Amino acid sequence: MGLLLLASLATTVGAQQRKFYDDDPIAREPNTRDASGANPRDIDLMYDLAMNLFALQRYPNLVRARNVNTIDELPDSEWFTNRILARPVDIGEAVKGPDTGGGPAPGKLIVTRAKRSGVTPGFTLKDSAGQTWFVQFDAPGQSEAASGSAVVATKLFHALGYFQTENYISYLDPANLEVDAQAKVDTPSGRVRSMTLDDIRKVLDRADKRPDGTYRMLASRAIPGRVIGGFKYVGTRKDDPNDIVPHEHRRELRALKVFGAWTNLVDMKALNTLDTVITENGRGVIRHYLQDVGSTFGTGARAPREWDEGYEYIFEGDKTMKRLATVGFYLQPWQTVPYTEYESVGRFEGDSFAPEEWKPRIPTAAFLNARADDNFWAARRVMAFSDELIRAIVKTGQYSDPSAEKHLADVLIKRRDKIGKAYLPAVNPLVDFRLDASGILTFENAAVSAGFASAPRGGYEARWYRFDNGNGGASPIGAPARSQDLRIPAPAGLPAGDGEFIKVEVAAIDPPHSSWSVPVHVYFRRLPAGWKLVGLERMPD
Amino acid sequence: MVAGLAVRNRYRQNHHVRSDASRSRQRMKPLKPRWAAIALVAAMQVLLWTPGSIAQESRADSIAKQQEDKSKGLRPEVQDRIEQFVAKMTQGGWFFSANPRGFYPYLDSVYSGGGLTLGAGYRGYYGDYAFGEVRGLYSFKNYKRIEGRTVSPNHAGGLLDFEATAGWMDATQIPYYGLGIDTFKEAEANFRLQETYVHAGVTLRPVSWFRLRAVSGYDRFIEKSGTGSSPSIEEVYGPETAPGLGIDPSYIHTEASLGIVWAPAEGYARRGGVYRLSIHDYRNVAGDLSSFQLSRGEVVQHFPFLRETWVLSLRGRMESVFDQDAEVPYFLLPWLGSGSSLRGYGTGRFRDRHSLLMSGEWRWIPSRYALDMALFCDAGTVGRRFKDLKLGDLKYDYGIGIRFHGPEVTPLRFDIAHGSEGWHFVISASAAF
Repeated sequence: MGLLLLASLATTVGAQQRKFYDDDPIAREPNTRDASGANPRDIDLMYDLAMNLFALQRYPNLVRARNVNTIDELPDSEWFTNRILARPVDIGEAVKGPDTGGGPAPGKLIVTRAKRSGVTPGFTLKDSAGQTWFVQFDAPGQSEAASGSAVVATKLFHALGYFQTENYISYLDPANLEVDAQAKVDTPSGRVRSMTLDDIRKVLDRADKRPDGTYRMLASRAIPGRVIGGFKYVGTRKDDPNDIVPHEHRRELRALKVFGAWTNLVDMKALNTLDTVITENGRGVIRHYLQDVGSTFGTGARAPREWDEGYEYIFEGDKTMKRLATVGFYLQPWQTVPYTEYESVGRFEGDSFAPEEWKPRIPTAAFLNARADDNFWAARRVMAFSDELIRAIVKTGQYSDPSAEKHLADVLIKRRDKIGKAYLPAVNPLVDFRLDASGILTFENAAVSAGFASAPRGGYEARWYRFDNGNGGASPIGAPARSQDLRIPAPAGLPAGDGEFIKVEVAAIDPPHSSWSVPVHVYFRRLPAGWKLVGLERMPD
Repeated sequence: MVAGLAVRNRYRQNHHVRSDASRSRQRMKPLKPRWAAIALVAAMQVLLWTPGSIAQESRADSIAKQQEDKSKGLRPEVQDRIEQFVAKMTQGGWFFSANPRGFYPYLDSVYSGGGLTLGAGYRGYYGDYAFGEVRGLYSFKNYKRIEGRTVSPNHAGGLLDFEATAGWMDATQIPYYGLGIDTFKEAEANFRLQETYVHAGVTLRPVSWFRLRAVSGYDRFIEKSGTGSSPSIEEVYGPETAPGLGIDPSYIHTEASLGIVWAPAEGYARRGGVYRLSIHDYRNVAGDLSSFQLSRGEVVQHFPFLRETWVLSLRGRMESVFDQDAEVPYFLLPWLGSGSSLRGYGTGRFRDRHSLLMSGEWRWIPSRYALDMALFCDAGTVGRRFKDLKLGDLKYDYGIGIRFHGPEVTPLRFDIAHGSEGWHFVISASAAF
C-alpha cells in the first residue's frame, strides 16, 4: 500500500516537474482563450509616471524572463515577432517595415477628429480612399525632426520584432483640407464640440510650415482591431486570459533597456503603447503595439532633447541631494558631452554614449528588471544590424540635409557597437550550440565573433551529464573536457536511446572575463535524426 | 511498507489523542490503515485534479492550462482608487494647469506679508474657453480675499482675451514705517486695509511673445486700525507722515501695460527674459484726494550656464509717481521689502513716491523638474523725488532659497535673507521674479 502511495505521488509530482515537453522549444506563444471581452481602459499619465518613478524603483526581482522558451529565446507572440537575427532581414524588408502600402491617397483630406493626447500638433483625417490616418506635424524650427525620427524608429523597432504602426512621411496642402461635419474637438471646458476650420488653423499654427506653404506630416495608418488603451510595463491585464506573464518579466519589454539606449527612446511610458483586440482563429486576442517610438534620437516633439535626457530619470533623489549640497558642482556627463546638432536630428551622439548608464525619463518595471541575459539577448539583435542596413533605414526618414542623415546613421552605428561591446562580453557569450550525430559539440562565442573580446586564453570547458527529464537529476558522463576550439567532442558513453536527454555545462576560461566561467547549461534530446537542442540556460535562476 | 507504517502510527497517535478528548469520538470506528492510505491517495489526486483541466502533455498544454486558470478569474481593467483620484485631479487641471475645471487648489498671496496662505476655487465654463470662477484665499494672519472672475479668451482669431474681476480683500496688519529710505525699524506701526474692486479689461496678443493689456475699473479702499502687535498706524503717524491717513478713497483705476515674454514661462524659467511696462491712472472719485498716475517698469533676464547647470537671473524694477504734487495715499505708494522685493526686510519697509529695485540670483538646479536653489542679493531704495534714488542709499540683503517648481510654475518657495536689520524668512507660492 505504501508503494502504491509513493508511486502515485511520484507520478503526479513527476508530471508537474517535467523539464522538457515534446514540443519544446516552442516557437509561438499560444493564445488559447477568448479575450474579446477586454474593454478599453485609461491609464492616467501622472499616476503611471509617479508609480514608475517612486514606487517601482524598489521593485526589481531579478528572475529569469518568464516568457522565454526552453532555449532562452522568445517565441513569436502578440507582443513580438522574431525577425532580425532569428532569420535574415534584407534591406528591402527592413526599409518596408510594417508598411502595407503608401501614405494618404492624393486628393481631399477630411479631418475627422482632433488629436487628444501628446504635445505634437496633429489630428485624425480620412483620405480620398476612405482610409483613416493619424497625422502629426513637425514643430516650428524643428523641420523634419519629429516625422523623420518616428519613421526611422518605426523601421528599427519593427525589424527588432515589435508591432509597429504604419508611419509615412507625407505633405499636406492646407487647400486640400476639409472638416467633416461629424468631426469633434475637445475644449478646455471639457465640452466636445464640432470642429471648425479655425481649429485646424490653430493646429497648423503650431506646425512647421514649408516655404511652399505645405506641411510635412507623419501619417500613421489606423491599426487593425478594437483599441483598448495602452499596456503597463508591470503586472498583467486582468481582463486578458492569455496574458499570464507579468509584463516586467517579459523579455521583449526588458530588452527595451538596450533598444531604448540604442535609439535614445527616452519617453518609455504606458501612454506610448497600444493594445488592440483582433480576431485570430475565430478567437479574440490582444495585440500589443509599441505605438509611439517617435521620442527617439536627439529630438523631442517640440524641441531638441533636454540635455540630461538619456542620462537621468526626471527625478533622482541621490543626485538631487549631491547637486544641492555642492552648489551644482556635482557634474554629470550630460553637462559636458559635445554634440553636433542638426535641426532635424537634434542632440544625438555616440562618442560619449555609455549603454549601461543610459536611462529613460521614467524607469519602467521591465527596465528595472532587465538582467544581463536579457541585455545579451537584446544586444545580439542590435549587433545584427549591418552598417548598410542602418543607413538604408535612416534614409527612410527623408532628411533633406544629407549631412544630417549621415550623422544619424553614423551615431546609430557607433551606439550599436558600444552596445555590443558593453553587453556581449558581460555574460558567458556562447551561442548556437549544436551536437552532431557523431558527438561533436560546436558553438560560437558571440563576443569574440563580434570582435569585442579575444578568444578565451584557457579555452572552453564542457561537463557532460545524462539528464533525467522526469526528476531533473543529472549524472556525469566522463571527465570534464577542454578545448581551445569552438568544438568539443563528447566523451564516450553518451546515451543513444531515442528520447534520452543529456546536459552539457559549457564555460569559457578567461580570467579577464570572470562571468564567462559561469557555464551555459545546454540540453539535447536524442531523436532518430540526431541530437536536438531543447534547452539553454545562460543564467539559470 | 514504511509509508504504511507511518500512516498506521499516525492513525494510532491521533486515535489515542481523540480517545482522551471525547467520549463520543471514542465511539467512532477507526479506519483501517489500508483504507486510510487509499483515501489519502484519492484525496491528493482530487486536490491535484481540476475540473475540465487540460492534460499537460506539451508546453502548449501547460500554457493553455495557465490561461484557462486565469480565464476563471477575469476582472475588468479599472483604475484603482488612487489612480481614480489622481485622474480626477488631472482632469480637473490640478497639476500645473492653466485650465482647471470644477474645484481646484488656489495658490497665491492675499497681500504681501500675509504669511502661509491656503486657497481654493471653483471654475465653470460657459464657452469652449470662456469661464467664470470664484476663488478665495485665507492666510494664517487672517488676511483674506474672495473674488469672482470671468475670462473669455481667443477672440478675433486668438488675438484678444477679455476679462472681468470683482473682489474683496482684507489685509489686517500691513506694516508701515513712514516715508523714505531713512526710516527706523522701531517706528513700525500697522494698518488694516480693505479693498473692494471691480475691473474689466482686454489683452491683445498679436504674437505669442508680445501682449498689450488695458484694464479699467473701480477700487474702493477702507483703512482700519491694524490688528498686528505693533501700534496701529493712527497712534504713531499723522496725515503729514502717512499721506491720506484716515481717508477712505475710491478711484477709477485704469492700467495700460505691455509685456514681452520670451522665457518659456513666467512662473518658472531658466532662460529667456520678461520685460514689462505699465502705466496706472488713479482717478479719484470719492475721498478728498487728488488723482494721480504711476508707472512700473520691470526687466527680468535669465542667463544659463553649462546647459542650465547654473542660471544667473537678474531683475531691475522701477516705480514712479508721475506728478510730484499729487496726493497719493500711503498704501498705494511704491514700496520695497517683502518676499518678492527686498527679501531681507519686512513687508513695506521702505515707501515713497519712487522706488528702485535690483535683484540677482545665482541659481543651481538640483532637479530639473522639481527643485531649484538660489543664492541671491537684492538692493533697493526709495525717494520722494526721482533724483533722490541714489545708489549710495541702497539697502542690501543677501540670502539663500529653495524652490519647488514644475516645468512652468513655482508653487512653493522658501527664502531666508539677511538685511541690515536681521534675518527674514520668506514662504511664497510664486517665483521671486
